[in-house]
Amino acid sequence: MTMKKVYFCENSLEGIFSAIYDAWSDRNGHANNEIRLLAGEDQGNMELFTEYIYVKNSEEKISKVARSVYEKISNEAYELICGASCSCEASRGDDIYRFLIVGFSMGKGVIDCLHNKYVMKIFELNRNVSNEAHHLKGFLRFQEMEEGILISKIAPKNDIIRLLAPHFSDRLSQENFVIYDENRDTAIIHQKAKQWFYTGGEFLDTDKIKKITEKEESIGSMWKAFFSSISIKERENKELQRNNLPLRFRSNMPEFKSSGQE
Amino acid sequence: MSIVIQENMTVQKKLEVLSDAAKYDVACTSSGVDRTNSGTGNSGIGNSLACGICHTFSADGRCISLLKILLTNECIFDCKYCMNRASNDVLRATFTPEEICGLTIEFYRRNYIEGLFLSSGVLKSPDFTMELMLRTLRMLREEYQFNGYIHCKAVPGADPVLVEMAGWYADRMSVNLELPTADSLRQLAPNKTRKNILRPMKQIQIGRMENRGKPAFNRIPLMEEDGYREQGFTKLEQEASGDRGNTGSLILPHETARNVRIGQGTANTLIAEDLQEIAEASSRKTSFGMIKAPSINRGFVPAGQSTQMIIGATPESDYQIISVAEALYQKFDLKRVFYSAYISINEDSSLPALNQGPPLLREHRLYQADWLLRFYGFRATELLSENRPNFNILMDPKCNWAIGHLEQFPIEVNKADYYTLLRVPGIGVKSAQRIVKARKTAILSFEDLKKMGIVLKRAIYFITCNGRMMYPVKIEENYITSMLLRVKEKLPFDMEAASAYKQLSLFDDVKFASANAQIGSFI
Repeated sequence: MTMKKVYFCENSLEGIFSAIYDAWSDRNGHANNEIRLLAGEDQGNMELFTEYIYVKNSEEKISKVARSVYEKISNEAYELICGASCSCEASRGDDIYRFLIVGFSMGKGVIDCLHNKYVMKIFELNRNVSNEAHHLKGFLRFQEMEEGILISKIAPKNDIIRLLAPHFSDRLSQENFVIYDENRDTAIIHQKAKQWFYTGGEFLDTDKIKKITEKEESIGSMWKAFFSSISIKERENKELQRNNLPLRFRSNMPEFKSSGQE
Repeated sequence: MSIVIQENMTVQKKLEVLSDAAKYDVACTSSGVDRTNSGTGNSGIGNSLACGICHTFSADGRCISLLKILLTNECIFDCKYCMNRASNDVLRATFTPEEICGLTIEFYRRNYIEGLFLSSGVLKSPDFTMELMLRTLRMLREEYQFNGYIHCKAVPGADPVLVEMAGWYADRMSVNLELPTADSLRQLAPNKTRKNILRPMKQIQIGRMENRGKPAFNRIPLMEEDGYREQGFTKLEQEASGDRGNTGSLILPHETARNVRIGQGTANTLIAEDLQEIAEASSRKTSFGMIKAPSINRGFVPAGQSTQMIIGATPESDYQIISVAEALYQKFDLKRVFYSAYISINEDSSLPALNQGPPLLREHRLYQADWLLRFYGFRATELLSENRPNFNILMDPKCNWAIGHLEQFPIEVNKADYYTLLRVPGIGVKSAQRIVKARKTAILSFEDLKKMGIVLKRAIYFITCNGRMMYPVKIEENYITSMLLRVKEKLPFDMEAASAYKQLSLFDDVKFASANAQIGSFI
């Protein structure tokens, strides 16, 4: 009897690629393998007759898998995998593995193969990630600090701040700004007219955000005034508002805070 | 003219007054143009995404994308339906261009907004007002180096030179049609004429064509408003439209499609005269022809133009309204026509008394039909006729059409072309695209369609997979109608069909009963 094997790997695209390399090369049969992420979250129940393998990242394995995706499937497939790896779905590592099994057998046609459940799954993860990133391009709010630095705090489900970074770096190229992901304690830092970079949040003094300048208060209050006067009373429809703007985004949006609550 | 002017109003107070006065304008979209900040010198602020971005949603559920304000709510016009009409006794305010630029930039930096939507009452004269708007736009673009989105109204009656100059700074311009027919306009907006509205519209259209060096109707399907950004659609589209002669569409990029459409007159006696006016609006070059593009050339109205009309203040039928919209899409290459359910603000003997709120369901049906015209290749005459001039309250326009054309069904999912797939109730743009894509590698079954996320509850009565329907279904009008009515339609507002019915029958002459006579027997 073949033994089931579970490959635990780092919670990153690199980790997933390293695990896929190992799972692929030990000829245990794909059906008997599973990839799981070591990510503080639930790591699943331990099962009998299962071997648990902890995979270390390896530059060599990562680049081999990446190259194979480019050469044997396509650039587009590689992008889909990157997008899926930003998802918050616990099974994302295994989902990418399953997608690659189909992909390596079909080649570049795999991305048309929407009736295949593993292919569809990768598209779903991507849709979910890019929808949230698109929402936050709109719902994210900056607040200006005394030094003129713009600070934004968001709590996305998926790991998307790196997807937001190019957009805001172009848009606000002449500004110093920070986008902080409070769920993951990571941040994007952009300095005026320079490239953005990605970092851990431990370097940031997030307490500073709580200080609100007078100017900030006055602009916030004008925004709130606009927000309420632009609505048409005769058409009020809170349910539609909630469908379009789910409550989870609102905690970081000034127009949904009553004054004094900030 | 009674005007209350308060001296020394704070910017916040002005903002309250002038956003409150702008709220009835429908469009708040920021779509239609892709522009990077780095591509425009990178020393400024802002960019724009063709798909548009919603920044928040107000309590009425509408998207807020732009800082939507009037430059002033002082107005010499006396349009009966308008809050700011000259004869109303309301608080008046006027922004300075500096104030508008300051607000726009500060809001934009904080990511509150995608840009500015600037409309205005008519202060002193159309030219005076348009000049102030132009000065504001120019200041925002040149002094503040703003590369975000700008939507600007053209004031009817303003000098074409001013309109042309504004067009070089705005991404989108709009001239409000206000009311569907010239007759209604005469009654309710005595200071506006259809000609003064259509002329700048035509001017902007021609300006855009000249700027792009492209003919009109060169529209790409699955447009930016849809938010669908998948690459490579053009190929699909060509494949799909290959043998499409019978139902040419507004959105087909091919010359052939254009010819097909023009050949089929949409006019009928009821509305012929009105459409004629649209069709004949001078196509001569109306611009001054000496205005040169600004040094940073962002294009002439690159995101195209839109318009809006009020629904339910005057007795036009849905058929008249969508025929007008269709003519505007065809003859003026508009990006969007917006419909605004009439809200009773002023009391006037020439306005209907509304005691049940704005006709939201009717507005919703018009938007659904508008979608069918723009993305699905339908024509107004397919959806309604003089004998059936209004939409069915119980069923969306596409279901309603399909029920009336059962002879065209069922269609085979593995063979039907893209535009035929789009005609199936329940199959939208995304689903049709997925089908066209997936069937390249496999013969699709109902199981496959489900896996692809295609909703079948309406579609099953109209399609076969591999020659078979999902369940044995009789293609019979009464049966399918009753089945479709069991699928609860998701409306963007909470509404009972009964009250909706009342809403729609505001006018006695709409022959509403005949439109729904068949449906009536099922409820």
